Amino acid sequence: MNPPAWARFVLGLIAGENQAEFVAGDLHEEFLLLCASEGELAASRWYGRQVVRSVAGLIGLRFRSGEAAHLLSAAIAVAMPLLLLDRLWSFVYSHIPFKDGLDRAPGFWAANLVCACISAAVCGSQTQSLNRAMGVALAAAVGAACALWCSAAAAPVFYAGLVILAAPASSMAVFMWRGWR
Amino acid sequence: MPKGEALGEFEYLVVLAVLRLGANAYGMRVRQEIASRTGRDVTIGAVYSTLERLADKGLLKASMSDPTPERGGRAKRSFAVTGIGIEAANRARQDMASMLEGLEFPLPGGRQ
Repeated sequence: MNPPAWARFVLGLIAGENQAEFVAGDLHEEFLLLCASEGELAASRWYGRQVVRSVAGLIGLRFRSGEAAHLLSAAIAVAMPLLLLDRLWSFVYSHIPFKDGLDRAPGFWAANLVCACISAAVCGSQTQSLNRAMGVALAAAVGAACALWCSAAAAPVFYAGLVILAAPASSMAVFMWRGWR
Repeated sequence: MPKGEALGEFEYLVVLAVLRLGANAYGMRVRQEIASRTGRDVTIGAVYSTLERLADKGLLKASMSDPTPERGGRAKRSFAVTGIGIEAANRARQDMASMLEGLEFPLPGGRQ
């Protein structure tokens, strides 16, 4: 008997690498006890509720353990190039005569995307565990979303979606590649 | 003890649970102990958050044990109350007793 996969995944995502093992162990132990006394369905519901209601506490713990500093760095590392390039393109456009509006050329969007992916990949290469790699990937997605939201030009939906997905994917890909090697 | 190190209500419950459980004090047991004695639906996240905060303050000390099959092959983090923790619990008990002195329970005016 195993707890619900979604709840284990969420727990792995939110619990810091220092806490993930013993929090998951405690929940697993109580889950088995509940399975024996109340049945697997009730135990699964209980497990899911525990995970969902523990989100704030576990994230707080992650912040206090200093792990959050790495996540914040990853978010900033992805957001900064996007924001800086956005300002650079705004400056470039301001020097083009008869250019009205802020619509960017596709080449500029592509440059932004590549820079965000490189930053995210560098962050992913620094991680040592799957738990932290997932945290860094999530932070990269959040950083990218914040940068897009703060940018001067309205980003096309396709480009925005691509950046938000490609940045964390690059981070995880580099982590996996390093593990495989 | 500095003012900032006085025990909050939930911290006090956690320290008392760890004292009650002795060598068997770890997250799940602490959660169950508080839930069964107070009737509160406590989450494991809240318990660990408090346990770690108390350990950071030096009121508890933590130790890791070996992984066991019933925990899905995961290790256990056990806690014990330190001398500072005992002092803090005694102080919290004194404070509570002194605030309760002269009051009669149940207090009038509450819901029946």
